[in-house]
Amino acid sequence: MGVRKIDVSACIGCGTCVEYCPMDVLKMDGQSQKAFIKYLGDCQDCFLCERVCPNSAIRCIPVYEKRIPLPW
Amino acid sequence: MTEDVVIGNIDVLVIGGGLAGTFAAIKAKEAGAANVVQVDKASVGRSGCSAFGAGVMRTFFPREDDREKTVRECVLRTHFLCDQERLGQHLDDCYDRIKEMDAFGVEFEKTPDGSFERILARGTSRRVMFKGGYKMMEAMRKAAIKKGVKIVDRVMVVDLLTDNSRAAGAIGFSTENGQAYEFIARSVVLAAGGGWMKGRRPGHRNITGDSMATAYRAGVTLAGLDSAGANTGPAIYDIGPGNNMYMGAGAILVNSDGKRFAEIYDEALKEKTELGILNVACAIEARRGKTPLYLDMTHIEPEKVQRMKRVIPLPMMMYERAGVVVGDKFVKRIEWVIEGPHCNGGLLLNNRYETTLPGLFTCGDAMPNVGPEGQIALPGAMTSGARAGKYAAEYAGEVAPPKISSEQDGALRERMFAPMKRKDGIEPDQVLLSLQEAIVPYDVLILRHEKRLSKALQEVESIWSDQVPLLYAYDPHYLRMAHEASNIVLVARMMLKSALYRQESRVCLREDYPYLDNAGWVKLVTLKREGERMSLGEAPVSLERSKLKPQPEKLLHPLWQSAEKQGIIRIEEGSVKWV
Repeated sequence: MGVRKIDVSACIGCGTCVEYCPMDVLKMDGQSQKAFIKYLGDCQDCFLCERVCPNSAIRCIPVYEKRIPLPW
Repeated sequence: MTEDVVIGNIDVLVIGGGLAGTFAAIKAKEAGAANVVQVDKASVGRSGCSAFGAGVMRTFFPREDDREKTVRECVLRTHFLCDQERLGQHLDDCYDRIKEMDAFGVEFEKTPDGSFERILARGTSRRVMFKGGYKMMEAMRKAAIKKGVKIVDRVMVVDLLTDNSRAAGAIGFSTENGQAYEFIARSVVLAAGGGWMKGRRPGHRNITGDSMATAYRAGVTLAGLDSAGANTGPAIYDIGPGNNMYMGAGAILVNSDGKRFAEIYDEALKEKTELGILNVACAIEARRGKTPLYLDMTHIEPEKVQRMKRVIPLPMMMYERAGVVVGDKFVKRIEWVIEGPHCNGGLLLNNRYETTLPGLFTCGDAMPNVGPEGQIALPGAMTSGARAGKYAAEYAGEVAPPKISSEQDGALRERMFAPMKRKDGIEPDQVLLSLQEAIVPYDVLILRHEKRLSKALQEVESIWSDQVPLLYAYDPHYLRMAHEASNIVLVARMMLKSALYRQESRVCLREDYPYLDNAGWVKLVTLKREGERMSLGEAPVSLERSKLKPQPEKLLHPLWQSAEKQGIIRIEEGSVKWV
């Protein structure tokens, strides 16, 4: 949920987003040395990756992608 | 699978990378522990609740606040369940911890003369503000590293190791490469947070009852699992937290008739009431058919919105992205629901933060959270973490290094890697959804009745017996998800059993037992493992040295009284009847 795209042209491969992600959603691609979204379904929509990216390469949206039952 | 990693000769092992764990690690070093290791399944400082805290923290400043009033409010609000001695320790320590955090580089909002700026938000305690939870935790992480704490990121601890009924370390695995990790330690601080259920709460979906589940498996006594909490948040936007800032700035909550309703239950504070009361208020509106509910912040002044952007930057980015905030204005009402439930229980502890397993200490949301001051959220994490770390270091200085039997180690490893060894099985997401369907409805754990609790327990027991043993993981990432799902289901079982045990209304409301029974129930519900069986019991609340003591009386719970006064319910034959 949340992380929508990593702009590969803007990603500088610093790994900050991968280091910060609490849910282990983002990984570094061995070949391109850029970050990519590996486990989208486990994103907790905290926006931390977008906030800490030094080159504004990441965009998140506050939309539920997994069904979570409502309380009523 | 690569080679195992063994980290031995640890004085204090801290499990969990939030504010409680980080303070524990720092204070263990300061108390003289030579080798302090802090491990987190994500990374220290970016995990758990703390990094996503709502930018405000209740504080008690001895020179500015009334101690007697604070104690009284806290004790009465928890209907005498809060431990008054630990509350006293919190009030003693709170200001010093804030000063330390300031020195560590946490950016607090300050007045022009350099004092901490404090505001009223929810409740009646004044709060300090800092510029975002993740920035606060970044400063704490740096402070821990500077003190010499060795940090191990991306390792999920699955079980505790013991040596002759004493804590001896922990076993876990790397979520990056699946390596097994063994930590051998003289003392352990379990600070892996409370029990959220991966619900509607961005930033909290990695708090999965790991503390309680790990401790339960090791035979540690737990307490307070009958108490469930929840937060409130948007129904259709995946945004949070921030409630304290919203309510503090003057947000109002209305039902489907456009009427405010929080004031029924707290005439003075209205929407600024404590969260437990607000949850009940929302649940009763749902029971009355008055949903959808809406949070309205469209009237809030631009300068207050600007402050929100400084103090809760992540949720405010999300609202902007959703088109709810434009410039410095909220431009539409937000459909609002209860998020949750989450488990308020934790490890039973004494006033040295030691659990029933010698050498195992606990702090933060891993403690039973039965008090809004000092025993919950960031303030409790800060003061309890510091004390737990100090006491754990003292304990470590008095005991010999532990020995781990190979039988224990082998059995735990087999359980840990079992989901990856299966050729096929059930996805963690499937298990979670089944569980959420059973326990998320408001009338299971927020408004309670034996019939509904029992039905939910039956469903959760079948998830436990039919689905959890088949959890399947493709890789180390999914191994984490599988253990999280398993822990959540275990915690839900414990919550429901504990909830059924308490036959009165106190922290949570029962329709079938609407009375607050101070003659029979000023005690904690406890739970521990005995073989394969969950054994429920009771622990007294220490009141001998407490100033405030309850009258041994039985009265209709004050929140039910409020509902009765408004003609929403009546009491018939000792039970709630909805009007």
